Amino acid sequence: MDTGKKLTRLTVTLYWGCIVFGLTLPGIVMIVHDAYRRHGGFVEAWQDFRLHLFAPGYNLFLIGALNALPFVLLAIFILFHLGTATAKEPVIVSRRLAGVAGALAVAVGLSTWAHLATTLHPDAQGALVYFFLPVYLLGLIPLGYGCRRLIGTIATRTPAAKG
Amino acid sequence: MTQKYIWLNLGGLIALLGLLGLFYWQSTGARAVPAMTDALKDPDSKVRVAAAQMLAEIGPAAKPAVPGLLNQALHDPNQYAGTTAAGALQKIDLAAARQVMAASLPALHDADVQARRNACAMMGSLGPVAKPAVPALVAALDDTSETVRMVAVGALGEIGIPATLVIPALVKALRDPAQTVRHRAVSQFAFSIPPSDAVVPHLKQLLEDKDRSVASLAKSALNSPHRQAKDRTAAYVTMLQMGNANDYTLRQLAQFGPEAAGTVPAVIPVLKHERPLNRYLAAEVLGAIGPGAREAVPALTAALQDEDAIVRESTAEALRAIGTTDAPPVTAAPK
Repeated sequence: MDTGKKLTRLTVTLYWGCIVFGLTLPGIVMIVHDAYRRHGGFVEAWQDFRLHLFAPGYNLFLIGALNALPFVLLAIFILFHLGTATAKEPVIVSRRLAGVAGALAVAVGLSTWAHLATTLHPDAQGALVYFFLPVYLLGLIPLGYGCRRLIGTIATRTPAAKG
Repeated sequence: MTQKYIWLNLGGLIALLGLLGLFYWQSTGARAVPAMTDALKDPDSKVRVAAAQMLAEIGPAAKPAVPGLLNQALHDPNQYAGTTAAGALQKIDLAAARQVMAASLPALHDADVQARRNACAMMGSLGPVAKPAVPALVAALDDTSETVRMVAVGALGEIGIPATLVIPALVKALRDPAQTVRHRAVSQFAFSIPPSDAVVPHLKQLLEDKDRSVASLAKSALNSPHRQAKDRTAAYVTMLQMGNANDYTLRQLAQFGPEAAGTVPAVIPVLKHERPLNRYLAAEVLGAIGPGAREAVPALTAALQDEDAIVRESTAEALRAIGTTDAPPVTAAPK
């Protein structure tokens, strides 16, 4: 498989992976937590999850949608940013990949930590994190991208590189 | 990656979001009623509880689910599923809620303690719609069972009206020999029922209660910064004017009675609210205010034609309390 095809495959995988991860992370955390801490069975935990998707006071669908918002924006960015890169310019590709990796690390890390913390330590005000998390992510994802890209740029600095 | 391929993936995302939106639309509002009605028959009580809660959220549009909710409220072996269904009925169909009340009233005199306790809990879950059950609940405060008295206190707090009966009964419960009953009674004044000046001396006595949690709650009730009606009504008027009428706000205003006279202009539009519970409570507020709500007479007269029999009944009572001769006799609603 040539580099161009590999890049295309990687871009599409990251794009859809990012969307699916954003949508499903809150549900996965809740189901796994329910299965291990309360019920001991994934089937019952899944049924509980489905039951509360739209239930007042739970609205797990809304939580998933809120969490997905920054991930969807990041996915669109990845699609255009990596999708328009050409394999003929490996330095630029590697720098962009480095930036995307930084953005993904921040998005996945912060989101996973926030959902785990909220689920493991439930609190009356804890649910506020579901509203603030997307805002924080939208601010921190570009920061993660910038930092990692800077590192990538320094690492790949050559006289010929202009990206 | 070609431009066409990029846009194809973007199109896929739009299609996915569209499908999710469709799923949300199908699963919420009146469209969810058939599925929720089916869920009321589920063998798992958790499913029945969640279905009743969702139907309550949907409100009057969930009317097709009333027979299922009635059945659950009256016959479900799981008490929580029953009270949740009753709670949903008060938001959907007041007459059906009154049916549950009428069916549960005899159990308040049952020989079995558990039956009396469950009946009290059922009345509480019906909220202000169970107003006609208040005298029976007041009588339940003399029950020999501490548990029944405690649940009766909670039910009186949840019904909340008429304040002229509920508040003296809760004051009486503040002196109950059982700590659990006193705790439940003082909680009502600390969290849901604004303690009037007449209640203050009784709360002050509880500051010396041998149970520290009761004394602490009494202190909370007394220290409430917005204990006075005048302090609260301004905020409630703002809420009503913004269209945020909810049963809690209206019930509190009904508890203030004549002191809430300044809210009449804001309460009048609620007589046309889409939710029968809010229309009912608006009539209750105006009735509790009494002669001070005279400017509401034309709106109340129009409300005598309300589609809901319980609202009509409450409206006629309000007109009588205001002291107008415009209140015609109305068909008695089920009691």
